[in-house]
Amino acid sequence: MKSPLHRQYLWEHLLEQASDERFFEKNAALFSRRAMLAKCFNGMGALGLAAAVGPRALGGEVAQAGPLMPKQPHFPARARRVIHLWMNGAPSQVDTFDPKPALEKYAGKRPESTVKLTTENATGGLMPSPFKFSKYGQSGMEISELFPEVAKYADDLCVIRSMQTDVPVHESSNWMMFTGSIQPTRPSYGSWLLYGLGSENENLPGFVVLGEQGQPVNGPSNWSSRFLPGIYQGCQVALPKEYNPREVIPYLQNAQLSPVSQRRELDLMQRLNALHMERRGAENAMNARIQSLEMAFNMESSAAEAFDTSGESAATLEAYGLTGPGADLVANSGDGGFKRATYARNCLLARRLVERGVRVVQIYCGKSQPWDHHSKNSESHRNHAAVVDRPIAALLGDLKQRGLLEDTLVLWGGEFGRTPTSQGDDGRDHNHHGFTVWMAGGGVRGGTIYGSTDEFGFKAEENPVHVHDLHATMLHLMGLDHEKLTYRYSGRDFRLTDVYGRVVNEIIS
Amino acid sequence: MKLTLLLFVALLGNVFAEGSSKRVIDLDSEGHQWAFQPPVKHEAPTVSTNDWPRKPLDSFILAALEQKNLHPVRQATKAEWIRRATFDLIGLPPTPEECAAFEMDQDPNAFAKVIDRLLASPHYGERWGRYWLDVARYADDQGNSFLTPTPAAYLYRDWVVNAFNQDLPYNEFVRLQIAGDEIPGPATDYVARLAGLGFQGLGPQFRKGAAGEAKAKADELEDRVDTLTRGIMGLTVSCARCHDHKFDPIPTRDYYSLAAAYNGAEWPARMLASPDIVETHKKWGEQVEQQKAALKKWSEDQSAHLSRQMLLKTDTYALAACKVSVLRQQKLPLDEAAFAKQEGLDLYFLKRWAAVLDEAGDEPILKPLRDAATQTKALASVGTSEPMRQQAEALKNLATAAVAALTAIETPPADPSQKPPALTPEQDRLLTVLWKDAKAPCFIAENDRAGLLDEAQKKQLADLQTQLDTLSKNPPASGPVMPSIKGGGQPMQVFVRGNPENLGEPAPPGFLQVLSRRDPTSEGKPFTRLELANALVNPQNPLTARVFVNRVWHYHFGRGIVPTLSNFGKLGSPPTHPELLDTLAVQFMEAGWSVKWLHREIMLSATYQLSSAQDPGNLASDPGNVYLWRMTPRRLDIEAWRDALLSIAGRLDLQIGGPSIDQTTPGLKEVPGFDFFTRMNGMEADNPAGRRRTLYTVVSRYAPNATLTLFDFPEPNVTSDQRNVTTVPQQQLFVLNSPFMLEMSREFAKRLGQATPHDSERLQNAWQLAYGRPPTADEISLALEFLQAPADTAVGDQLNRWEQLAHALLASNELMFVP
Repeated sequence: MKSPLHRQYLWEHLLEQASDERFFEKNAALFSRRAMLAKCFNGMGALGLAAAVGPRALGGEVAQAGPLMPKQPHFPARARRVIHLWMNGAPSQVDTFDPKPALEKYAGKRPESTVKLTTENATGGLMPSPFKFSKYGQSGMEISELFPEVAKYADDLCVIRSMQTDVPVHESSNWMMFTGSIQPTRPSYGSWLLYGLGSENENLPGFVVLGEQGQPVNGPSNWSSRFLPGIYQGCQVALPKEYNPREVIPYLQNAQLSPVSQRRELDLMQRLNALHMERRGAENAMNARIQSLEMAFNMESSAAEAFDTSGESAATLEAYGLTGPGADLVANSGDGGFKRATYARNCLLARRLVERGVRVVQIYCGKSQPWDHHSKNSESHRNHAAVVDRPIAALLGDLKQRGLLEDTLVLWGGEFGRTPTSQGDDGRDHNHHGFTVWMAGGGVRGGTIYGSTDEFGFKAEENPVHVHDLHATMLHLMGLDHEKLTYRYSGRDFRLTDVYGRVVNEIIS
Repeated sequence: MKLTLLLFVALLGNVFAEGSSKRVIDLDSEGHQWAFQPPVKHEAPTVSTNDWPRKPLDSFILAALEQKNLHPVRQATKAEWIRRATFDLIGLPPTPEECAAFEMDQDPNAFAKVIDRLLASPHYGERWGRYWLDVARYADDQGNSFLTPTPAAYLYRDWVVNAFNQDLPYNEFVRLQIAGDEIPGPATDYVARLAGLGFQGLGPQFRKGAAGEAKAKADELEDRVDTLTRGIMGLTVSCARCHDHKFDPIPTRDYYSLAAAYNGAEWPARMLASPDIVETHKKWGEQVEQQKAALKKWSEDQSAHLSRQMLLKTDTYALAACKVSVLRQQKLPLDEAAFAKQEGLDLYFLKRWAAVLDEAGDEPILKPLRDAATQTKALASVGTSEPMRQQAEALKNLATAAVAALTAIETPPADPSQKPPALTPEQDRLLTVLWKDAKAPCFIAENDRAGLLDEAQKKQLADLQTQLDTLSKNPPASGPVMPSIKGGGQPMQVFVRGNPENLGEPAPPGFLQVLSRRDPTSEGKPFTRLELANALVNPQNPLTARVFVNRVWHYHFGRGIVPTLSNFGKLGSPPTHPELLDTLAVQFMEAGWSVKWLHREIMLSATYQLSSAQDPGNLASDPGNVYLWRMTPRRLDIEAWRDALLSIAGRLDLQIGGPSIDQTTPGLKEVPGFDFFTRMNGMEADNPAGRRRTLYTVVSRYAPNATLTLFDFPEPNVTSDQRNVTTVPQQQLFVLNSPFMLEMSREFAKRLGQATPHDSERLQNAWQLAYGRPPTADEISLALEFLQAPADTAVGDQLNRWEQLAHALLASNELMFVP
């Protein structure tokens, strides 16, 4: 709950904007009754303040003064934003960040300890990874040849090799990864973060989802705000073939009025609103809407600017792999795959967005679940990693160079992992018993490996980290206590981590 | 004083619960909390301004105001009042004609007449039904990872709307939704009796299979208990699924006791139509099944007959098959079909016999024949031999005897006392090996039956099939089919920590102990949904009437007497006017649980007639208007706002009921990845189907309508007590730029233009339509200034000045807030 003092702060902040001289100056010619309007806005000061510090302002539990206003965390935050690089479909840990030499020795065998580890489908004997692992950085972290560019940032990565989730089913595990529940009924962690912290830029959605054309498995329910207010919903940005930064947010542009005419019409609207308030007296909720209309108008240009990469330098574009060798790479998967060009642009957009104060950015690779390699695992992993390796590395480098990595938490991983055993001749099945994610920046200990799987990379053994624990830790890094970040909906308290979750303090720097 | 005490108790409760990890629930002492005491009527308190109250409730309000040194503000004007009342009851703005008529009506009953007119409108149920649908977490689909529309979910929605329109007593409304199928007595109207079960049938059904059957079912159970207890009783019973309730006297065991009413229930689809139709349809279904069975039987009989004929030819086929084997073994060219024809045999059975001979096996019945065939093959002669002939002959004789015995058994004997002997075990075995077994030579697989029929049989089969097709393709009139509920009532054991795989103590089925003090002798008996429903609406139940009266109060004043509408427990807020709430609750029950009575009682009060005028003195001591010294201006919810826009623009289609509308925007839908954004589901004005009331828009759990979500429509996975009211720029982007808003602006301008060519008259009409009042002088000059400003040269404008003015009026605060 916000304290009265905090509400007062919010209100004063709002008043500051209301009395922003530009608001009137911009439209001085049209504001022939400016004095009247000014009187109206001033008049609402005392009344509005009184209402704002009352026990309950109008309506629900969300202050009128802006549900996206930045809020104080529970304690000093290490990270202020999150970028989640979701490898949807789930990559294989033993082919990427969790080397298992024992797989060679036991190739084709099914050791006793793994017999009872059932997954979605029946799998056979152990299947060694064909990929060579090497040591990188001062930490000597072992990373497979699939990620040579990301490996250059080994000393920034904190690799958790002992992840676990509840079930070996994509749908449920996506929901677990994004909402902390295997049923599609809870708000996503991005929505929780936005609810807990607000946004640092009211001209942009606070929680942005980037991807390819088409939806990942579960679609919008992965980033739904559910019973939290709708504004905390992940805003999925459409990335059609003809990318147009002015069309990425719904209704960002007026197709039937020029900007000049729209401004004039908006002025008329605001003057009618002002006359209305003059007649009936100022109301908190009505003022908020007047402000909100101005913000929307500003958003038309500022949001388009944020999503416009045309001003980026040639060197930047090449670093992200948007141009130069590999720019035309395509990850081939059954569902249409995804393109380097899009993935790289999404990584670049992620940097632009967090730079502008967006709280949470999630990037999925492509439609459906490109990383779901039930057959031809090695071939497909090589192909998919080649598409994402360079853009991800460039994003890490770019954030680092701009000093953003320090307080931006980057999370890489799937919804679960894959079996070290083979499915069919050359595939790997889903694996919820053990998998790997890595984090970078945002207060995590770089160059660290936390937890481990068994000898074969099948099951988390040492220091298991459930997705609930990952969420608790992410919230902690963002300055929020996962047990205290609650939302009362229809009289019942809810938490992201429900009755679970442990902060993994060991990985915090 | 009492209030302070309650607050203190509530706070103490919190501290106690939070500070202690091992809470022990004391049903006796905790049962004394106000919400667990049955409500009683209180005398209206005396007040000093005794000419102000119009209804008893006003005295309660005024007494509290006077006690706080607050005073009521002025009364609303008639224009303000009729706008408020019309939006409140039917969710639409009053027409200029209705406003004028009310203004002119000097009858002291003018207010009551307006209320009666609105309560009689079929649009009343659309407004108030929707409030209940929030509680019932109504949706037209399931929240799976792919779109799973629920068939005919709208029947429940329409049932709710109709229930409000008919003023179905609230206790019956509850009973029908919980146990309509278990209420004794014949139903004359299955829709009226059963459609309310959608309250449960339309709840989430979760993915099972690899994701875990027991967990999914336990989660479904929790949804049903949660929706029921928060929705109807304002208690968070589901919190006790994993642990004793931390604040309220609800032990874990009670969750499972109550959940038993649902345990073992299924969610079958029921046909909702008149009993005649359902019965006729059922009979037709049975007839189809009978004919299918008859057809199957006929086909079986034909093939059994054929198989028996083949058994009698065992020797012929065995010998021919042996020849085939030899030819095959010698890799000689062999046209099996020609061979069969030449020998006068059926190729189908010849092949089966050949397969039997070629296969190794120790089956004693076949072994001698197989051995003989092997020997014959070794001879490499023409494919037959004496031992082979002997074995074939012997087997044929056995088969013939077995068939004869079987026929004797099946033929009714001439002399009933002469019972034919049963098959010997040897014969039985023989028939299995040569006929019944799937690998047997005379076996006919189901798919092969038709191919083995002769011409006459084939015609007969075709005739039978035609008969069946004619019947099955011509069903009698039927009704829509909607998920519902059936069964339940099975006792449960506690799931330890909520985990269905970890069973704890048995939970005796029954209602919450704190409310029922149930008879220990009832323990172990089933607890039906009907018993649950009756316990909910028992007049002694302290919560049901209070919770509902409070919901209605909330929708009239923007704030409940208990502000936490679905939590009357310790974590909820205490009532601001406890005696008023109790009095209204008792009166409501005495008035036959009539919701329309309750509206009249509230809306004819002086309190409801208060204006939303401000008052600095009151504001200073009660800024949140908790004590109702004025009417708090309320923002319209998305339904009323959108419906009002359509109505003002003259484009609203007022058709009532029917399937939900899911229309997407044709233009934007073509942009890949944009589809879910623009799933306006009928929100777009360029789509004729999109002009229905917002109530009829598809409510999706899978892909929530983006516009509804943006404007605080509730999440349909979980019961909702009240709407959030957020104000964010993305909403205003919709207001400023959406095709819907721009289309409404054009339509509104067109409507104004069609009525009169004169700007000043148009302005009068515009304000009357949009706001139910004439424009002020300031507004007229502002509008004329805008309309008459010189045309500019801006490129890209497709809206003329009048359309822009119309847009400004529709987008305004005055339209969005109820005075």
